[in-house]
Amino acid sequence: MVGLFNTLDLAKRSLQTQETAIQVTGQNIANVNTTGYSRQTVNITESPDVQTPVGSEGTGTEVAGIDQVVSDLLNSQIQSQNSTSGYWTGQQTALQSAQNGLDEFLNGSGATTGTSSSSASTTDSGLSGQLSALFNAFSALAASPSLSTEQAAVAAGQSVTSSFNQISSQLGSLKSTLNSSLTQNVASANKLLSQIAGLNQQISSTEAGGGTANSLLDQREQDLENLSQLVNISTSTDSSGNLDVSISGQMLVAGRTQLDSLQTYDPGNGNLLVQTATGGADLTLTGGQMQGTIDARDGTLATMQSNLDTLASNLASSVNSIYSAGYNSSGATGGNFFNGTDASDLSVSQSLANDPSTFQLSASATATGDNSVAVNLSNLASTTQSGLNSQTFGNYYGSIVANLGNGLSNANTEVTNQSAVGEMLSQQRSSVSGVNLDEELTNMMTFQRAYEASAQVVTTVNTLMGDTLAMKTS
Amino acid sequence: MRIATNSYSDSMLNQFNTLAAQQYTLQNQVSTGLSVQAPSDDPTAMQNTLSDIEQQAAQTQYSANISTLQTRATSVDSVLQSLQTVVSQAGEIATSAGSATNSQSDLNNYADQVNTLINQVVNDANTKDPSTGQYLCGGTASGSAPFSTTTDANGNVTAVTYNGNSTVNQTPIGAGLTTTADIPGVNSGSNGARGLITDSQSGADLLNHLIQLRDDLNSGDTTAITNTDSANIQKDQNNVAYQVANNGITQNQLTNASTFASSSNTNLTQMISNSSSANLMNVMVELNQAQTAYQAALESSAKIMQTSLVNYLS
Repeated sequence: MVGLFNTLDLAKRSLQTQETAIQVTGQNIANVNTTGYSRQTVNITESPDVQTPVGSEGTGTEVAGIDQVVSDLLNSQIQSQNSTSGYWTGQQTALQSAQNGLDEFLNGSGATTGTSSSSASTTDSGLSGQLSALFNAFSALAASPSLSTEQAAVAAGQSVTSSFNQISSQLGSLKSTLNSSLTQNVASANKLLSQIAGLNQQISSTEAGGGTANSLLDQREQDLENLSQLVNISTSTDSSGNLDVSISGQMLVAGRTQLDSLQTYDPGNGNLLVQTATGGADLTLTGGQMQGTIDARDGTLATMQSNLDTLASNLASSVNSIYSAGYNSSGATGGNFFNGTDASDLSVSQSLANDPSTFQLSASATATGDNSVAVNLSNLASTTQSGLNSQTFGNYYGSIVANLGNGLSNANTEVTNQSAVGEMLSQQRSSVSGVNLDEELTNMMTFQRAYEASAQVVTTVNTLMGDTLAMKTS
Repeated sequence: MRIATNSYSDSMLNQFNTLAAQQYTLQNQVSTGLSVQAPSDDPTAMQNTLSDIEQQAAQTQYSANISTLQTRATSVDSVLQSLQTVVSQAGEIATSAGSATNSQSDLNNYADQVNTLINQVVNDANTKDPSTGQYLCGGTASGSAPFSTTTDANGNVTAVTYNGNSTVNQTPIGAGLTTTADIPGVNSGSNGARGLITDSQSGADLLNHLIQLRDDLNSGDTTAITNTDSANIQKDQNNVAYQVANNGITQNQLTNASTFASSSNTNLTQMISNSSSANLMNVMVELNQAQTAYQAALESSAKIMQTSLVNYLS
């Protein structure tokens, strides 16, 4: 009877093992669509033998543990790739907004037959067209000096200044938006750092009690990947198995403890940067969306704003130096065509805007029909300016547009490339950690059959035990 | 290689997105006819196109300026034709009046004709450009008519005052290139554009010469008519002939400039098209390829995702 009881016990352990295996299979199937879920496997081992007079006797199986199938190398690569991807996404978002704000697009009038289509034109509100229209208005004024052409020239000047003001305003708003975005990213990063410290604590407690913390590990990996999207991080595991997180050399999470958090600060120019909140250490970020935003704001966009200001300033000084020497029909002189010194405050002289007939068109106080000023102003269109790297106004603005286009084009390419790399890494990780339903169903059948067989063992032992008891009663 | 179940859907979703983006881009190129619309599409092409569009707009303006000048030059030509007739008639009168066979009555009749010619000249010299309303022969002075007259009790012009100046407006007709169709009414200086009525360089002084001729006719001074007035009128004839030739040169210059502007415009249109226009045949082929790939991806994914081991378990 003792042997039968041992066999019954063996069968019971086998049933429990197969139940656990089927439960894990069910867990995998249930989480087939769960983001960040790593498939689990049951580590089934042979339970210890029992020494008997006839030799070593097996005791069946037992569950040694439920393990996650993960690749630390792939996880690390994905975190690193996330930082790169986040960096370029930050740049792309910022520069795309700047491109929209610049409003310099080509319009087509639709495709025609043949191998090429009809010609392009610029958008009406783009500065390129406005600058061109201004110099052409001066040219038209030179050809036909009259109140209507004076009004047209003044209106063209107002359109140019309006475009400058609008672009400058858009860039200013964009700078504020990017600062807000940076602040939001910092808040998100702090939340994730706090969550990671909390998960470290839960994982440590769970594993200290002999349990497994697979779902918590999945959550922590998800948090790390989300954090790496925002900022470049480095992680390490301490001697107790806790995960430490550092940003730019500053350890912010040490195991269960969050040592510090992030905050934004103004270095004095209104362009927010990032530092540790308690330690006050200024961080030199090397990747992630935060640094992408900072680099776009302080790089391409700052250069663009500066160049636009230079263009506006040179336009105002060049036009004014010619215009102020002219005389209007009343013989008055010395007035300026433009007021202001940069793109934000450039405007057409209010008195001229109010009364275009006071246009200082003549080079002589006595020759009121003279058009020399308009001729000289129109010649500015093709005159290179020393203050604009020896380029014309139109070409200098074209280089501003091209610089922005290059920055955004580069960001677009990098985002596409990083997306492809991300997909590849994700597929690789998926091949390791992802759930395959066919595999799980096969496993389920395997465990089901094993369970059925074990149950059959119980039935057989039960029959044998019944037979044994019947021997006594018969 | 082990494939996770969701790898199919993730991969297909990425492929759908990529192919949809391709189709969007290509369809957009077909509908707009442009391969470059935003600076980021092709920064260099965008920069070149902006420059070309600016040049094209400038050429269009030059063409408009040229057209304005051609109208003006045509108006000036009408004035010159009229003045040619006047100086020709004045020359004939001076020649005829110098003959000893003329009676005083004949000379007075000639004088009346000259009076008519004087009024005609004043009228011609005060002609306005019909398109802009500006005086053609007033120089850069503005406001009143270039020539005003003083008349005697009989309404005959006795003196003429020039209200303009000797400077003429230039008009841009090309990059750094200007010209003018205007002629100053008077140029008493030694340089600059020659005056139409009075010009110190050629000795022309048409109105005063006509007034002198009329007065000599009225006084019967045939000697002065023969010795002085005929020579003076000849100078005026030469000056008008010079102005006619000069106007012809200006009109030729304007025609050439117009042709150049038109040609430049055409070239710039081609350059803009080369930089920014879509090659429709290529784009249509690429669009068909993208559509085929998209359709194939949809069909294959629909078939693959329909089946798993569950379909065969009972």
